[in-house]
Amino acid sequence: MTNTIQILSIEKTGKESSLQKEHNNKSIKIIDGYFFSRNLDDQKFTKISKLISNDVSQTILTKKNVNKVLSSYCNFNWVVEIKFLPGVTDNIATTVKEIIKDNLKSSFKSFELGSTKIILIKGRKEDITKISKNEANPLIQTIKIYPFKQYLNNFKKNQFKIEKVKLPKKKYSKKEINLDISDYNLSLIGKLGIEENDKSRRGTLGLDLESLKTIRNYFSTIKRKPTDVEIETLAQTWSEHCKHKIFSAKIDDIQEGIFKKYIKGATEKIIQLRKDNFCVSLFTDNAGGIEFNKDWIICHKVETHNTPSALDPFGGAITGIVGVNRDCLGFGKGAKPIANTYAYYLADPNKKYQLYRQKNKDPMLPANFIAKGIISGVRVGGNCSGIPTPQGNVYFDDRFAGKPLVFCGTVGIIPKKIKGKLSHKKKANPGDIILMAGGRVGKDGIHGATFSSEELDPNSPVSAVQIGDPITQKKMSDVIIRELRDENLYSSITDNGAGGLSSSIGEMAKESGGFIVNLEKVPLKYNGLYPWEIWVSESQERMTLAVPPANVKKVIKRFNARGVEATIIGKFIKKEKAIVKYNKTEILNLDMEFLHEGYPKLNLKTSLPKIKKEKKKIIKKNSLIVKLHKLLSSPNIVSKEFIATQYDHEVQATSIIKPLQGEGRVFGNATAIKPLFDDEKSIALSQAAYPQYAETNPYDMAGCSIDTAYKNLIVSGANSKKIAILDNFCWCSSDEPDRLYQLKEAAKACYDYAVAYQTPFISGKDSMFNDFKGFDKTGKSVKISIPPTLLISSIGVVDKISHLTKITPDDGDILLVLGNTRNELQDSVYSKIIGYEKSKNPVVNSKDALRTYRKFEKANKLGIINSAIGIDLGGLGIAVTKMAIAAKKGLTIDLKLKNKISVDQFLFSESQSRILVSMKKNKLANFRKIFKGSDYTIIGRCTASDVVEFKDNKKIMRGKISDFAKSYKQNIKGL
Amino acid sequence: MNVLVLSGYGINCENETLHAFEVVGFKGKIIHINDLIQNPKQLNNYQVFAIPGGFSYGDDTGSGNAMAKKIMTNLYDQLIDFSLKDKLIIGICNGCQILINLGLVPSLNKKDPEVALIENKSGSYECRWVDVKVNNNKSPWLENISTLNLPVAHQEGQFMIPINLLKSIKANNLIGLQYIDHQKKLAKGQFPFNPNGSKDDIAALTNQNGKVLAMMPHPERAFYHYHIPNWQSKTLKKFGDGYKIFMNAKKFFA
Repeated sequence: MTNTIQILSIEKTGKESSLQKEHNNKSIKIIDGYFFSRNLDDQKFTKISKLISNDVSQTILTKKNVNKVLSSYCNFNWVVEIKFLPGVTDNIATTVKEIIKDNLKSSFKSFELGSTKIILIKGRKEDITKISKNEANPLIQTIKIYPFKQYLNNFKKNQFKIEKVKLPKKKYSKKEINLDISDYNLSLIGKLGIEENDKSRRGTLGLDLESLKTIRNYFSTIKRKPTDVEIETLAQTWSEHCKHKIFSAKIDDIQEGIFKKYIKGATEKIIQLRKDNFCVSLFTDNAGGIEFNKDWIICHKVETHNTPSALDPFGGAITGIVGVNRDCLGFGKGAKPIANTYAYYLADPNKKYQLYRQKNKDPMLPANFIAKGIISGVRVGGNCSGIPTPQGNVYFDDRFAGKPLVFCGTVGIIPKKIKGKLSHKKKANPGDIILMAGGRVGKDGIHGATFSSEELDPNSPVSAVQIGDPITQKKMSDVIIRELRDENLYSSITDNGAGGLSSSIGEMAKESGGFIVNLEKVPLKYNGLYPWEIWVSESQERMTLAVPPANVKKVIKRFNARGVEATIIGKFIKKEKAIVKYNKTEILNLDMEFLHEGYPKLNLKTSLPKIKKEKKKIIKKNSLIVKLHKLLSSPNIVSKEFIATQYDHEVQATSIIKPLQGEGRVFGNATAIKPLFDDEKSIALSQAAYPQYAETNPYDMAGCSIDTAYKNLIVSGANSKKIAILDNFCWCSSDEPDRLYQLKEAAKACYDYAVAYQTPFISGKDSMFNDFKGFDKTGKSVKISIPPTLLISSIGVVDKISHLTKITPDDGDILLVLGNTRNELQDSVYSKIIGYEKSKNPVVNSKDALRTYRKFEKANKLGIINSAIGIDLGGLGIAVTKMAIAAKKGLTIDLKLKNKISVDQFLFSESQSRILVSMKKNKLANFRKIFKGSDYTIIGRCTASDVVEFKDNKKIMRGKISDFAKSYKQNIKGL
Repeated sequence: MNVLVLSGYGINCENETLHAFEVVGFKGKIIHINDLIQNPKQLNNYQVFAIPGGFSYGDDTGSGNAMAKKIMTNLYDQLIDFSLKDKLIIGICNGCQILINLGLVPSLNKKDPEVALIENKSGSYECRWVDVKVNNNKSPWLENISTLNLPVAHQEGQFMIPINLLKSIKANNLIGLQYIDHQKKLAKGQFPFNPNGSKDDIAALTNQNGKVLAMMPHPERAFYHYHIPNWQSKTLKKFGDGYKIFMNAKKFFA
């Protein structure tokens, strides 16, 4: 407790405005604090204070002024002090240290430093508890609440302490694990982890009994016991997260598994049919690559970060986005990230679910805390990295209360050739040095890969949370893309994500044969990590490079010159062996074949699930206009503008179709960027998932997802021959035959629709156990499973700027619906909000759909289409009102009902493959020629009025555009 | 005509900023702050010094503060020297925050920062397009410009200026840009026209000779016509409003 000091700087105004708004309390104040492990003399205190604060906007608190300064705001009575737990990355502290060292040079010797956030409040004790819960996460932060006076006294007396990571006392000695034990004890190792000498367990390995027996057999053949590091490594490498065992397993009569048959199978079939150079690099690399133009490749990857985001929403989401950025950096020789995408599937932020991971304790975070944390995490990750985040969506459903789904994607760009060599090919050669660059290794994220493959239950480890540091990554990324890649200074590169070094080096070594790693060389955040921890740690912001020995000095020098650490930690070898040493003791020695392919293959069976019929609900007797308002303001349709404006989508100056479209700022279905200054081609991006359709018919659900993701790009103006898609399956209870049945059906649809649309899958990922097992507030045990969710992300090339469409019609335009509207209201937004009687789920007819799309594409290229919007959630009625809101122009709709459908069915059915378009009157003749023999309906026109009106034979129903806009732009309650 | 575009530690708009200068006729180079500290003499080869937008040091200790302190420790005299010659300096967004933290703008008393950029009144990051006007400012960067339509993207863009200083800033015509509404009248703090609640709708300040411009909006992101929101509904031109700023730099040296 001695020899420490803290510097507190208080903002004169600002900073707490959002907090004050949220808690409806003007008497809240935030203080930035920094605490030092050394005492500072007055001169140094002043100097350092000046370095880390701003004289104009902040005041440094001292023993002398503290009473006066604080009482000038109000009479506070409570204080919350939030600090990072020891060992958790503290980015602010790192920066402060750097500023001080740079300025004071050698006059200031080594010191420890931490940052803290202090919130002062005048209010009741309950208020302060609530605020502290909202502002901090106990998994990574300590929260201390003090009565104001006590805190003031402590401050004056300098009473506080710096906590450090507890270091293990004993030195590491090689630990051998006896697997010749009972099945029960064996399964304990899998579920709870390796037992330490003090009988404590390290945390779940996620290994089932069969895998452990396979490991036992392997070691009995080579006649020795496995080390702890070997078991940890196998657990990482064989995890569902890394090996996708369910997708590769034999399932029913599908020997090769659904990945090979349906996903890869579709792409192979498409490549065979297409005979072009569109597909460049598929499935094998960190991301999938397609041709952009004759000189450039673009790649795309979408990841999920569900479990980490459930435990620490901000941390989970930020590491999700910067993690997938690294997938891009690790594509080929390193692609430059040029766009981020996001999709969140969340519980209703306005509801209190009150779930507990253990009976009456260990509560799940509140739904609004999770939602806000996730949204902020991607904001900070994306904005700080200088990567635009134009494309995304959010969807709400109670079934995400146990686990939110957080999809983060990145698009990258790389020249086709680097110094004459194909950039997407890489190969670690025997003799290449293994170089780790970027951040240091700590305890963060240990066992991430193994636990994200499991259900969230009381044994889920808390150290599985990582904190992102986008600036460290940005520094590293700049060196790789700008200063190393184009000189071909390394032969291979990959990122450190799930499984850390064990996974990245293990994967790269497949290219050379094997590897030898010296773990003691790995730079650590703090001492005291066990070798197995170093080996599997998921500390972020690191890339692993294979560097020819002749280039190593140069590469390290370039990293260091930019303030980035790079360390030699081993070498790649020809022999197919995985070898890890720690201070010369060999602690891992496995055959590469066993490491990567030795896991027991699953043999899965499926069974037809019982389909729960949607209950018949009485349709509310609302007028059409009221129904439109209700739908527009419902959380899944309402504008997500508040996210679009906090995600920088303009950085890199590439934004060409923005997330908010038209003068009336409607949140678009697709966005586009123009990545190169000297080529008018653009990249259009979209995505779609229909978890609400999954339980009724998973095949159609997948069909709808592909159709929508594809349609949105066609509507935006993309070339239909240059569209690729990505699959992200987030499933639940994937050990249950009926869930596997749904999985198989969805995968089958993936094959059918991808082949029909000729859109190759270029990359994908799956997350199979998105279930929550715990307790409700009464202590009753509950299981909440997400609805099966297949996110299809689409990426396409728009050849010309003039092909890009807009969603805003002009005065006098004729309005048409392309495609056929059927009575398909089941599981629709309408049926949820208004009610339904008897209907069907939407089904995609790919032949009809393609006919519409091809003709649309042709008409658009000929300049016939003036504006267009894809019809999806909420149906035609919502598409029409969105168009009017965007254009701030009146629309008149004639309700011409065909196929015996009612007005509500016509306006709210979610029938797929439909586009609402507008065109000038004089283009109609040409349009008719092109669309001869296709389904289209002229439904009205654009007027100069300020209303949307619907006419049927009897009456006219009118709604003011400004009123619709108000409903559409309502705040989402709880956010 | 050469432009030095600064990079490093989380600055991230250097490519598009350099591109904008190149299109109007500059030759330029992106130079890492560490390389510049190693060899400050290279500043002599340049007529324009540009600090682009970004997130230097992740905004830790306040946006622009850490980078400003790094420059202050290692390059301050050279930069002051640069600003006194017949040369131009521009700081955009994070670059603006850095110039303000360095005290290079408005630089009325020549020492220490006099102005601060604090968190937006909305409390959130704001990425949106705004209209700004030039008000009686003689800066070469702003010559012959009346209004501009540009995007902002920042969390800390609210100018905080002590009252007395504001008076002399006005007296000296150092307000570079001000946010305006659709009627081209001052936004009067009204959101979203004034996206951050800046005093007197200030979006940019200059130093006394006008050669140093610190602006929160991003001209390089409004450089081409297709950058403008809903460009499809507007008359086709080649460039957006941001182009004018870069052209002015060219004209200054022509």
